[in-house]
Amino acid sequence: MTEAIRHIDWIVALAALGVLAAGPSLFGTSYVIGVLTVALCFGMWAASWDFMSGLTGRENFGHSLFIGAGAYTAGFLNVKFGLSPYWSLIAGPLVAVLFGIAMGFPTLRLKGPYFALAMLSAAAVMQSLTIIFSEYTGGQDGLNGLDPMLDSTLAYYYLTLFFLALTAVILKLLANSSWGTLLRAVRGDEASCEAAGINVTFYKIVSLMISAAFAGLGGVLYAHYQLQVGPDLFAVVLSINIIIMVYVGGMGSIYGPIGGAILLNVLTEAFRGFSEYRLWVYTLVLMFIVYFMPQGLIAPLWRKIRAIVP
Amino acid sequence: MIQILIYGAVISAIYAMLAVGFTLIFGVARILNLAHGSFYALGAYAVYALTAEAKLPLWLAAILAVLLVALFGILIERVLVRPLRRRSMLAVLLITLAVALMVEQVLLLIFGSEARNVPSFVSTAYHFLGVDVSGQRLLALAAGILVLGGLWVFMQHTKLGAAILAISQDAEAAQYVGIPADRMYSIVMGLSAGIAAAAGVLVAPFQTVIPGMGLLPLVKAFAIVVVGGLGSIPGSILGALLLGYTETFIAFKISIEWSQIVSVAAVLIALILRPTGFFGKRVAF
Amino acid sequence: MKFKLPWLAAAAAGAFAAIAFPAAAEETKPIKIGVNTAIQLQVGRDAIDAVKMAVDEINANGGVLGRKFETLVADEGEAASEGPKVGIAAVNKLTGEDHVDVLIGGYDSGVTLGELPHIARAKKIFLGIGSASPTIQQKVKDDYDHYKYIFRVNPINSAKQANGLIDFIVGKLKGELEYSKISIIGENAKWVQDIVPALKKGATEAGMEVPIAEFFDVQTADFSPIFTKVKDSGSQYLLIIISHAASDVFVKQWYDAKVPVPIGGIDVKAQDANFFKRVDGKAISEVSTNFVLRAPLTEKTVGWWDNFVKLYGRAPVYTAGGSYDAVYIYADAIKRAGSAETDAVIKALETTDYVGVRGRVQFDALHEVKDGAGFVNELFVQWQQDGNRVVIWPREVANGKMINPPWITQN
Repeated sequence: MTEAIRHIDWIVALAALGVLAAGPSLFGTSYVIGVLTVALCFGMWAASWDFMSGLTGRENFGHSLFIGAGAYTAGFLNVKFGLSPYWSLIAGPLVAVLFGIAMGFPTLRLKGPYFALAMLSAAAVMQSLTIIFSEYTGGQDGLNGLDPMLDSTLAYYYLTLFFLALTAVILKLLANSSWGTLLRAVRGDEASCEAAGINVTFYKIVSLMISAAFAGLGGVLYAHYQLQVGPDLFAVVLSINIIIMVYVGGMGSIYGPIGGAILLNVLTEAFRGFSEYRLWVYTLVLMFIVYFMPQGLIAPLWRKIRAIVP
Repeated sequence: MIQILIYGAVISAIYAMLAVGFTLIFGVARILNLAHGSFYALGAYAVYALTAEAKLPLWLAAILAVLLVALFGILIERVLVRPLRRRSMLAVLLITLAVALMVEQVLLLIFGSEARNVPSFVSTAYHFLGVDVSGQRLLALAAGILVLGGLWVFMQHTKLGAAILAISQDAEAAQYVGIPADRMYSIVMGLSAGIAAAAGVLVAPFQTVIPGMGLLPLVKAFAIVVVGGLGSIPGSILGALLLGYTETFIAFKISIEWSQIVSVAAVLIALILRPTGFFGKRVAF
Repeated sequence: MKFKLPWLAAAAAGAFAAIAFPAAAEETKPIKIGVNTAIQLQVGRDAIDAVKMAVDEINANGGVLGRKFETLVADEGEAASEGPKVGIAAVNKLTGEDHVDVLIGGYDSGVTLGELPHIARAKKIFLGIGSASPTIQQKVKDDYDHYKYIFRVNPINSAKQANGLIDFIVGKLKGELEYSKISIIGENAKWVQDIVPALKKGATEAGMEVPIAEFFDVQTADFSPIFTKVKDSGSQYLLIIISHAASDVFVKQWYDAKVPVPIGGIDVKAQDANFFKRVDGKAISEVSTNFVLRAPLTEKTVGWWDNFVKLYGRAPVYTAGGSYDAVYIYADAIKRAGSAETDAVIKALETTDYVGVRGRVQFDALHEVKDGAGFVNELFVQWQQDGNRVVIWPREVANGKMINPPWITQN
């Protein structure tokens, strides 16, 4: 359900932003900054997924399609054509949107798990293509030698944080507007919406395009942090990891998935102490959350806290 | 040409075994079981462990492996899936995913990342209509056909089979008639797991036994089932034949590299052209 | 006067200690070696164990310049499912938080390529012991100031391996066995995609026919289409290039179907000492390149091999030889430089001339380990009866004759 955004939400959001901003500059080693930059990119991917699939209930199992599209665009423009990385900030999301349109038209009319599988197949096809056409794409090793956008990793972290904040604000405002209401209605009963004269397909496609744009943007930022792009950015595993982050954060809330993304990214690194048991422990924690917290962890937690505040 | 016919048949039989189990649990309980690939992997590893470590004879290890994995499937359904089913299908999906990840990690920790060797049941190579094919593959084909045939007989001619069909058509109505839905779901999960494990056992001697071996078969089973129609067993078999033969054909005629991508693209096209698959929602044979 | 002298002496001693002690502490601080590798894989485990083995030996002999070595390990994760991000985090952790003095590691070329800019930014020496992509060392030439820290100790890069293969094709297959038709297949990793055309060219220029030169996906589980095509083409040898893909299955399927074409080439898994047993002996007559073997490649090899087996209960894989040598090479460079300071060590590393367990190590202008006669060699080793491994090429180091698969009676 759509809760109105209250002052308390803005205050806490700003506080969270403050913590994210101050933390690395106080405790930041290249390690911490690196992990957090990656976490922020995942935050953008999770939020963009949530906007489309969290609201409409049409789960997209191929979100990595847009991520890879944005990342490889950045890779091509910078490595193959020698353009400045800043162009990718525009081109990447644009290419991702094109993919969104191309896939949206034929697949959004599919029901249930069919849309999910169609998107999954599309991403898998792209992954295979990048490997087969290795001459142009660098194959399994990918494209490397991307230029960093900024010399200081800390400054780049702030840039990424800025874009994440922008993404969060735009998507949350959209989600809370009549647009969001409409998307939630689609989840409830698409037929009734159509009957009411609303062009549901139009809204679904545009939402997918918006979702794609922000995912692509995240892809570009990730590419210029990692300075390398590979077929793993089109992988099914990536899409699934993002869905898990959204679930842990709380579907439909936009901010929850961002929290989920940051939390899970930090956990995978924090569990290094378990050496070869790292992923095993991580999976155990996931199982725990999925089993005991059906609405996720972060958004429900926040709702409880804010209910106490007048 | 004959080679394509024979090899395609072997692959299709294995795919069919994987797809049928997957579609069964979806058709009956509406569960997209992402741990399905794990049952396949566990079947292969179980037969490895029972022969290499417990030193059991091959035929006994095979049967035990299938039974153990079937039990594991029932356990998963009872303990993890049933409580979550009331909440949301996404939760079920994610818990099965977590199970899949967990199984892979446990296999990795216990058996290591290197491929394990399972001895062939049949070591001779046969020369069949001008084609060299290993006895193990022919066994896999024969066993696959037997299993699917057995499933057909079970569904059509036993009370339990009828009960399962009833549940898949209308769970509420079936419960009114006295069929315990929950217990049926467990049984179907066990059945589904057992068939997947059987596939794993049969291919273990000639395919890679590594902890991550379940992912690709899962994706393929998913694809086949969607193309054949979610919940339809004949649809899955048809889909398996389609995928198996397309892959084999492309591998022989063009290149192995393209055979993988073609199968994924075929799924995509099939979805766009005919979204509900060949046979839509029927589970019945 | 009499009172002041002891005080003065004490003050002087105190001052002296205050100045000298931190410096002395500085000089006895351990030298930290960071190992970044895939800890869940055999190649990773062996790299770590080999490093620890070398470190223990060096420390037992008093360390280097009076300082002991310390080992820290960071997991690069599973490249297939996590991509380079875990490797990059590992490298950042080792350099940014643990402040290691040197990095030894690497396995997956994609991950290593991803890590390089971060290692260069941290200005730490990296001794690669597992990745084979030539692109890695190319950076040393393209941007020396930025990437001078990157060295490759092991293995010989894939482009050079390709030259070794061409040499094998032309010298052995054509020259000695007089084959005129061979096929080439490889997994679709980037480095393979780069070298297969070169191999084909080398073979055709020598007058051979190459009817099939194809790639297959790393996940391929069924190789029957390939075997059938190769058999039908009339090829007399099948050259294979497999690194991450399923060698075990490939070999078993080849044996089970009694494909009448012998196989050999680069097969990383076939380098494992227990490969033959693992596949129930079905690898008989397969030829694979090897970088380290229980054979007197140098006077240190056999002793090291036996020690490794004694310590860890298993035979080492190719990353172990490289890691062991890497630690000693680093120690040697510190000794010659007279300090562990990075730039000084780099200069010393560039003039390395060290006999390790794999051969004599020197670095070329790209900081690549030199290969060829007298240096580190790519050996062509064949699995023969009862799992015996026989070096069948290059001619100078061969210690046996090449055999055919048991179901093929004549060349």
